[in-house]
Amino acid sequence: MASQESSDVAAKLAALRQKFLVRANEDIQILRDYAEQTRRGELSAEGLIQCYQQLHRLAGSAGTFGLPELGVAARTLEKKLKSQAEDLAEGGAGRSQSVDVDTDFAEGVDALARLVEVRSEYQDPVSTPVQRSDVFEGSHGMQVSVIVMENGDDGLTALASEMARYGFNCRNVDRREPEAVHQVLADTSGAAAILCQDSDLADVMALRNRAQAKGLRRRLPVICIGRDGSFENKYHLAKLGAFAFFPEPLDIPELAERIESLAIERSAGVQGRVLIVEDDTELAEHYCLVLQSAGIEARTVSAPLDLMSTLSAFQPDIVLMDVQIGGYSGVTLARLIRFEPRWLSLPIIYLSSEDDPDNQLEALSKGADEFLMKPVSDDYLVRSVRIRCYRARQLSELMNRDSLTGLLKHSLIKQEVEKELARCRRDGHPSSVVMLDLDHFKQINDTWGHRYGDIVIRTLANLLRNRLRETDMIGRYGGEEFLVVLPHCPVSAAAELIQSIGESFAELAFSAGDTAFQVTLSAGIAAINDFTNGDDALEAADQALYQQKRNGRNGVTVYTLQ
Amino acid sequence: MYVEDDPDIRAIAEIALQDVGGFTARLCESGAQALAVAPAFGPELVLLDVMMPGMDGPETLQALRELPDMGHVPVIFMTARLQRSEIDEYRALGAVGVIPKPFDPMTLAEQIAEILARARMEP
Repeated sequence: MASQESSDVAAKLAALRQKFLVRANEDIQILRDYAEQTRRGELSAEGLIQCYQQLHRLAGSAGTFGLPELGVAARTLEKKLKSQAEDLAEGGAGRSQSVDVDTDFAEGVDALARLVEVRSEYQDPVSTPVQRSDVFEGSHGMQVSVIVMENGDDGLTALASEMARYGFNCRNVDRREPEAVHQVLADTSGAAAILCQDSDLADVMALRNRAQAKGLRRRLPVICIGRDGSFENKYHLAKLGAFAFFPEPLDIPELAERIESLAIERSAGVQGRVLIVEDDTELAEHYCLVLQSAGIEARTVSAPLDLMSTLSAFQPDIVLMDVQIGGYSGVTLARLIRFEPRWLSLPIIYLSSEDDPDNQLEALSKGADEFLMKPVSDDYLVRSVRIRCYRARQLSELMNRDSLTGLLKHSLIKQEVEKELARCRRDGHPSSVVMLDLDHFKQINDTWGHRYGDIVIRTLANLLRNRLRETDMIGRYGGEEFLVVLPHCPVSAAAELIQSIGESFAELAFSAGDTAFQVTLSAGIAAINDFTNGDDALEAADQALYQQKRNGRNGVTVYTLQ
Repeated sequence: MYVEDDPDIRAIAEIALQDVGGFTARLCESGAQALAVAPAFGPELVLLDVMMPGMDGPETLQALRELPDMGHVPVIFMTARLQRSEIDEYRALGAVGVIPKPFDPMTLAEQIAEILARARMEP
């Protein structure tokens, strides 16, 4: 059965990742031995070539096994050794002679070792790759990159450091150096956007398109800035293919928000989750494969008895339901699904053969959402499922997310605390809950007006999304209060993380008219595991927050059990 | 058909191609094995790791082209060192595309599909 199969894939991948981690550890141990030799000045030419090959292998494989940081670090070291290793390999003779290697090399190897060790502490365990995507897909966890294309004499450099403070990963590159531009475009993965001066747009577009022709898959959105906000200029920019234009002086929070939404919209992500209810297992399997190969998560149910449990475990965006499943009617099953209030708005689409018009009519009269006629071509299946998933997601976003910040609403983030507590009990991992509050927020509203208050709130929401992992959950708890759930994160690590986010936030300058103001935040943290229910954990985080407020605000307090 | 000397990568590629991508995949550990297996397996696509001990990727490609029915099978190179000169070089050898390593097992099949679609568009 296909549902079995997709969880099999996850299990197999997890097992391979685990195995790779063991191997990477062994490889790094070997590298460390060589590093020791370099420190003593005893590394042979043969050893250096070995190191080079070992690093090349790590660089090319670590990312595939879910350790991208390790891969990148290994690549950097590999590059350092490259010319030396190639010279030695060609020289052939004297392989046992000792060679001089830069001292950074040994330190670099130590850093690799730390990367592998750290993984088990803060990062998610490698054994649960599938569960990650099933909670809420959000932008967080994925740092958005901004590629700033400079031309040497403009203020873009300053802008880059400004954007970095918003949590973006900024990369400056001189657009007059096509090689460097191509390298940056090739190196930047995940969600990203390009920023340039409007007068450079034509050249920048050409560079981007050339990079694409050279095998880069993504079409990154280009945002330009400039002085001329006239209709003619904007029309000209739109014609060249710009995605947005921001006139100077720049509204930085607005720009940050646009970059974030453009970059995320375009980055590849899971496109939807589909549950297929079909008793013809071969057909179901086929649909499943077709959808999966288009990047849509799909699972099948062939026995109606398993339907309800699979629904709650898989939480699909839509259901494809055969009209007749063995002795059961799809129409009646759909009705049964709707017995549960949480599935009231779940779109159910019937798969029906053309030769049963009576069934169709009956289904329609009972509130079917739509029909797909069998036989369905693969292409049509993918397209129609994709658009329906998209709509379903948009709808649930509207219902579940706060309109100002796009974060989870109060009741949902509270539920997440309960769910995480249950997971902690089951697996025994430590997790933290954080209550965040903007300092003196009322003053901001009173002094600058609600419009500025809203900007501050949105900015903090974006910063949190940029700095937290995808598995972390962020919600807007109240007016200026935020609630964050950090799974697999002990309170000490949480405190450090939130402290640094708070520091970044305090550095941001919000401009209002001719002046600018800054805002700080206070946070209270509690270990979810210390409590018997979610409400108590929240209460503890709230108490810690209150304490921080009394102790002068602008900082983090961790709740301690009495 | 995927030719790769690292057994761990072979294992993950098998999942990426078969379970995730829905291909029927045959994994080979060396260029020599690939040449022996190809005629009977009749691959519709060959993925070649560039750096392999013994026969490397480009050498394997050249030898493969000599085999009956293997003259026009699309070939994609998998490489950890992605430089423009390198891509051009592989294209010149007759590869339809290059996929950078590390690859993402969940999207490898998609990447392949895109390369093949693009190759079909070009005359």
